Amino acid sequence: MATTAATRSGGGYVQRSGPSGLYEILDLILDKGLVIDVFVRVSLVGIELLTIDARIVIASVDTYLRFAEAVNRLDLGTAEGEGLPELVEDVTSDGAQSKTKGILEGAKESLFGSGDDEDEDEDSGNSGGSGSSSSRRSSSGRSSRSGQSSRSRSRSGSGSGSRSGSASRGRQS
Amino acid sequence: MPEYVYAIVEPSNRPGEHPGIAGARLRLVKDGDVAALVSPLHDMEPQLGRDELLVHASVLEAALTRGTVLPMRFGTVMEDGDAVRARLLRANARSLKQELDRLKGKVELRIRAVYDQESLLREIVRGDGEIARLRKELKGAPSDATYYDQIRLGELVAEAIERRREMDAHELVDALSPVASAVDVAQAPHERVALNASFLVERKRVPEFDAKLEHIAKEQAARLRVKYTGPLPPHSFVELHEVS
Repeated sequence: MATTAATRSGGGYVQRSGPSGLYEILDLILDKGLVIDVFVRVSLVGIELLTIDARIVIASVDTYLRFAEAVNRLDLGTAEGEGLPELVEDVTSDGAQSKTKGILEGAKESLFGSGDDEDEDEDSGNSGGSGSSSSRRSSSGRSSRSGQSSRSRSRSGSGSGSRSGSASRGRQS
Repeated sequence: MPEYVYAIVEPSNRPGEHPGIAGARLRLVKDGDVAALVSPLHDMEPQLGRDELLVHASVLEAALTRGTVLPMRFGTVMEDGDAVRARLLRANARSLKQELDRLKGKVELRIRAVYDQESLLREIVRGDGEIARLRKELKGAPSDATYYDQIRLGELVAEAIERRREMDAHELVDALSPVASAVDVAQAPHERVALNASFLVERKRVPEFDAKLEHIAKEQAARLRVKYTGPLPPHSFVELHEVS
């Protein structure tokens, strides 16, 4: 399966991918665009497996404990005037860095049910991550929305339907 | 024969040899000033999955190089060419033409800015007295004795991340907006995403947008990774107004 993310050459600080970097535009193709009327059918099979939409910051004890652990293990370093004894201790005591790396990732994985998420994507600089996206899980309301999409949309009229996605997608922070 | 509908385009936007879904040949259904980019399907209820999604995206990509493209939502199928002409094009003729005019020469640019995890946490510990104090207190204490304090610490960190994201998202949008005609901020998929947003930008201003973004990305390189996808057809900005 060719994912066609064409990497554009650029100044180097911005990571660019072409229009077919599937992961990046999945939500656009699935949720945005024109929806015309009741005669238009939308039949999606298995697409909900592709959708990724979840709020990771969930107010739960588990999440908080993970955050706490992450900052506790954080290596604050000495480069920016952090000469305090207890901080130096951080560096030497528990080899914290590699552990810290995993903490928030862990939270994410448990929600997505898989380590195959966009960070692979970002790190490798291509859209290869989407190559195995069938293993992705949808863990939020999006899946139910996709579910609804599977048959005729009975939108009355041709009006606001085309933006229905964005209305609920404002930042809910 | 059922038709899969990819997009509304100008009647002059002739598809090339680029294959459509299931390898079918793309064609235009025209009516007056508007046209629909379609390809035939064998089945009114086709199985549309990942492969079709990719084809859909690449068909739009190719059409965008030839003119203005109003993308249909993925999975739009109509029973035949006549239905496309009558119920899609004619019934919405004025509205579709208006959108083609409004979005002419404009493209969508998708930006995602993701925090470097360690930098983010470091910033937060350094920037918040209470978090730093609590962290110091909890250092070395037996974890079962400090259970509730650990939760409190985590909660403070979560809140601080949220505040920082909001601030950064705001700054990024403010910095890029002057170059854009419109902005659509989408929900961030996880907590390390500072901003997930689309900008509607005139093609001729894309280099300006690129330069601005590059500048920001350079400035923020230690803490944010900026990912840029586009130019895309204006998925996030196309809308139809009620026709009577």
